[in-house]
Amino acid sequence: MRSLRVYIITRILLTIPMLFILVTLVFFIMRVLPGDPVKAIIRPGAPQEYIDEIRHTLGLDRPLLVQYVDYLGDLVRLDLGTTLAPVRGRSVLQDLKDKFPATLELSLAAILVASLVGIFTGVQSAYHRRSTLDYGLRLYSIVIYTIPVFWLGLMLQLIFSVKLGWLPVYGRVDTLDMAPRTITGLYVVDSILTRNKESLINSLQHLILPALTLGLYLSGVFTRLTRSNMLDVLRQDFITAARARGIAERAVIYRHALKNAFIPVLTMMGLQFALLLAGAVLTESTFTWPGLGRLLVERIEYRDFPTVQGAVVFFALLVSLVSLIVDIIYAYLDPRIRY
Amino acid sequence: MAEQTLTLEQPWEDVGLLRRIWRGRRWYGAEWYITVAGGVLLTLILLMTFLAPVLAPFDPIKTVGGRFTPPGGGKQWLIAEAENEAIQRPEDLAGRKVGVLPDTTGEVLAEELGAEVVYYPSMLKAFQGLTRRRPEVEALIVEPEAAGNFMKTYGRFVRQVGPPFGPTFVLGTDNLGRDILSRIIWGARSVLLVAILSALFSSVVGVPLGLLSGFWGGKLDRVLSLVMDSIYSFPGLILAIAMAAMLGPGVLNIAVAIAVVYIPTYFRIVRGQTLSVKEELYVEAARSLGARARTILWLYVFPNVIPSIVVLFSLNVADSILTEAGLSFLGLGLPPPTPDWGFDLNKGKAYLPNGYWWPITFPGLMITLVALSFSLLGEGLGEILNPRLTES
Repeated sequence: MRSLRVYIITRILLTIPMLFILVTLVFFIMRVLPGDPVKAIIRPGAPQEYIDEIRHTLGLDRPLLVQYVDYLGDLVRLDLGTTLAPVRGRSVLQDLKDKFPATLELSLAAILVASLVGIFTGVQSAYHRRSTLDYGLRLYSIVIYTIPVFWLGLMLQLIFSVKLGWLPVYGRVDTLDMAPRTITGLYVVDSILTRNKESLINSLQHLILPALTLGLYLSGVFTRLTRSNMLDVLRQDFITAARARGIAERAVIYRHALKNAFIPVLTMMGLQFALLLAGAVLTESTFTWPGLGRLLVERIEYRDFPTVQGAVVFFALLVSLVSLIVDIIYAYLDPRIRY
Repeated sequence: MAEQTLTLEQPWEDVGLLRRIWRGRRWYGAEWYITVAGGVLLTLILLMTFLAPVLAPFDPIKTVGGRFTPPGGGKQWLIAEAENEAIQRPEDLAGRKVGVLPDTTGEVLAEELGAEVVYYPSMLKAFQGLTRRRPEVEALIVEPEAAGNFMKTYGRFVRQVGPPFGPTFVLGTDNLGRDILSRIIWGARSVLLVAILSALFSSVVGVPLGLLSGFWGGKLDRVLSLVMDSIYSFPGLILAIAMAAMLGPGVLNIAVAIAVVYIPTYFRIVRGQTLSVKEELYVEAARSLGARARTILWLYVFPNVIPSIVVLFSLNVADSILTEAGLSFLGLGLPPPTPDWGFDLNKGKAYLPNGYWWPITFPGLMITLVALSFSLLGEGLGEILNPRLTES
């Protein structure tokens, strides 16, 4: 166990330079690129005093190096500044915290869909290697990835919400009083915790299409990963041995082979987290899902510079954190992974 | 005799390129079909791009018909008073007063024919305008469905002039009465321009950095790798969103915003390949012959990396198309009214609850097809050019 602890500590220490680079990158994107943030915020024709005031509020009138040091200092204290619009002076961190649960709920549901679809198709594809089914599923994994996720969402909305009228088109709940009392911020979980059947049904209805959209989009990658890992495992001796012992084929595939193919798939899922977040931003936009992605896009429209910067930094933190956690889980499951 | 054998067994080099590709299907199997499917699809799309001015029936940025004309619609009926003999053809409308409903194809046609346009809020009002004792207008231009009902009820007082006339919008029109087919065809230009430009930017930066980093190693390699890995781990779209938001709209700006995201992909692959090629015997031989580092890098290492770059480029263009579409869907793409599939989807989305399916169906289909063609090409070529990577 000592070596595991060493691994975890090393891994955490390695995350720091990576975060530092990302955070620096965001800083320079927001300041050094030709687009002047203040010009981006202010609509043409604003009085000069107002421009100067905004510039001063954002600290953009100070030398770049001073700004950079301040920015890093604020980040260490988790201070992401205050908003400019639509309401001035709110804490950016608070805004992000408010929207995060919606994104989390969507992402978790999407991962569920993607795993179910991806793992099942991946196993089938590997088991029936070089059959028509295999080629069909491989084509599926290519095609589903090239379908723009927001368009997939629009098409599902069109079919299931507009034409068939089965599911709602937009949002997380019909009306705000349908939302459960906030405990975790995940409506489905909160509804169950507060035993609010009505809001559980309502929030599930709203969750189905966005989760399906994002889940199917990710499922192609999962199909591929599961397929190639299953191919490796199916070739190994213990599978032949299991078959020789007369174990039912279904049990060989799902209990013996898949269990061993699953660990690499799990890490890969961690690596797909960035893809998931990018997909979530677009899916949220399609379904007017009030999450982080929606917030980011909305605040770009409002030209709310501090929130845009804060949201991007927040995404960077999230990605680093998830990859850290996945690596640690992987190391815990597989004792060969050590420094 | 010897001459005959030669003609029978045609040397490989004498076979034309197309026939060589055709023969390839025998030993590449499924990958060959994937590659060729991608290639054929891509050729068709490129053809469409170049022939846009010929193929597009209408100006993509002009209002040419009514709002939300359904696919196949657009033809209009010309209705005149029964006794009015002056109007026999649509051309007779020039200079006369013609009644239309606002935001319909009739409005556009009446203006094109040089008629004086009178707007009516409803069919009933239009009919009254035509059939009063002192008529306000001499004719009406109306949509077929409305005209059908109209004729059934008031056939005694009015007559229909000639067959339906006017344009046909194969894929319908959008919220501004622009032809969707034309916008789709012209949209291919803007999307491909941005995607290919951005892929060029990424490769031009990523490939040399990868070569240098892999070849020289040391501190430079460690720093570059760390930076590239950090960018690589970050969700590309979000990085592109931040950059596009700061740079503002424009082809070059969007291309740069997308390009930054893909530099690390080139860097990683090229660096990895350089590392392995560097250890090959022929590189050592060249070195022992006294070849300079630059020569080795350029003549021995780089050519071996080219196949991977080709594959990567193709996949990169596919990804760039999707990222561009995503950016424009979020309203961060090309400035309107440039035909842009993602932006058209963004606009069409607002009218989805009204059941207008055509403005959001066709642009998305195009994005998928174009991205798919590059993706298939890249996937297939990848397995053909790098058989070692294939998991049998």
